[in-house]
Amino acid sequence: MSSKNVVMIGVSTGGPSTLKELFNEIPPLNAAFVIVLHITPEMDYRIAQGLDASASMPVALARDGEFLKAGNVYLAPGGFHLKLDGNHRVSLCEGARVNYVQPSVDVAMLSLTRPIVGAVIGVILTGMGKDGAEGLRHVKRIGGTTLAQDQKSSVIYGMPKAALETGAVDFVLPPRGIAAKLIELLG
Amino acid sequence: MSNKVMIVDDNEFIRAAVEFICQSEGLDLVSAASGEECLRHLESGFRGVILMDVMMPGRDGWETIREIVARDLYPGNLILMLTGMGEPDSRMDGLQEYVTDYLTKPFGPDLLTDALQYYLSLLSVETP
Repeated sequence: MSSKNVVMIGVSTGGPSTLKELFNEIPPLNAAFVIVLHITPEMDYRIAQGLDASASMPVALARDGEFLKAGNVYLAPGGFHLKLDGNHRVSLCEGARVNYVQPSVDVAMLSLTRPIVGAVIGVILTGMGKDGAEGLRHVKRIGGTTLAQDQKSSVIYGMPKAALETGAVDFVLPPRGIAAKLIELLG
Repeated sequence: MSNKVMIVDDNEFIRAAVEFICQSEGLDLVSAASGEECLRHLESGFRGVILMDVMMPGRDGWETIREIVARDLYPGNLILMLTGMGEPDSRMDGLQEYVTDYLTKPFGPDLLTDALQYYLSLLSVETP
C-alpha cells in the first residue's frame, strides 16, 4: 500500500482507555492515523500525551495546515472541526457544532475523498450518539474500508451501533481485533 | 501526580466503597452526596477526577455537569460517569466532550483503581 494511506478513527466516551488498548497493539504502520475524539481544549493535549506515552507511533495534536506523515498519529484538537484537504493536509475550522459536538467525526470523515493513491480506512469506536455514522457511510462510498467496535467491548455502544445500522461497516471487532485487521490491511 | 478524586453519589455505600479503595491507593478523596455538594467543592477549588453518579435526587449527574460547565468549573477536572444503566442516556447529548469515561456499577476495585490511576496521570500532564 502507498504511504498515502489514511486511517481515520472516530470515538467519544470511553475513548482514552479504548485508544490506549488499540494503539498498544499496533506497531508502526505505513499510514497516517487521524483520531477524532469528542474532547475539550482543556484536555486534548493531555490525552495526546497520554496516548503518546504508550503507543508505538508518535502521537500529537493535529495542527492547521500540516501535511500528514505515515507512521504518525494525529489527534484532532478540541474546539475545532478537523478536515483533510486531499486526504493528507490538516484543516482546522471553527463553526457550529455538528451532532452536538466539536470536533465532529462526521465532519472529518466527510472531508475525505476517493483516493487516487493509497487507501482510506474508517473506524468507529465506543461513544454516545450517532456521530460518525454518516461519515463511515461516506468512507465506504469512496472506496474505503470500514470497521466498527463490537457491542461487548464498547463502553457505550451508541456510535458503533449507529454506524452498523447504515449497512456500510465491513468489519465489527473488539479493539484487539481492529488492531489485527489494521495490521493485515496495512502491513 | 495529581491524586485528588471526588465521588458524587447519593448512595452512602457507594461513597464508602470508593473511599475504601482510594484510601488503600493513597488517593485524596472528597465525598459529595449530591450535585449541589459537588458544585460547592468545585467552587472551593477542588480539581481532579470526578466520579459522577447519573441518577441522584434533586440535581442529577447530567444537570450537575451542565452547571459545572456553565460556571466555568470544568478546567482542571476530568469526569467519569458511574451508572447502573446499561443503555446510553440521550440527556448526555451535548456533554460528550466533558464525559471522558463510563464505569458501570457494580465495579470491581481493580477497574476503578486502574481508571483512576490512568486519568489522574493525564491530569498531571503539564500543558504548554
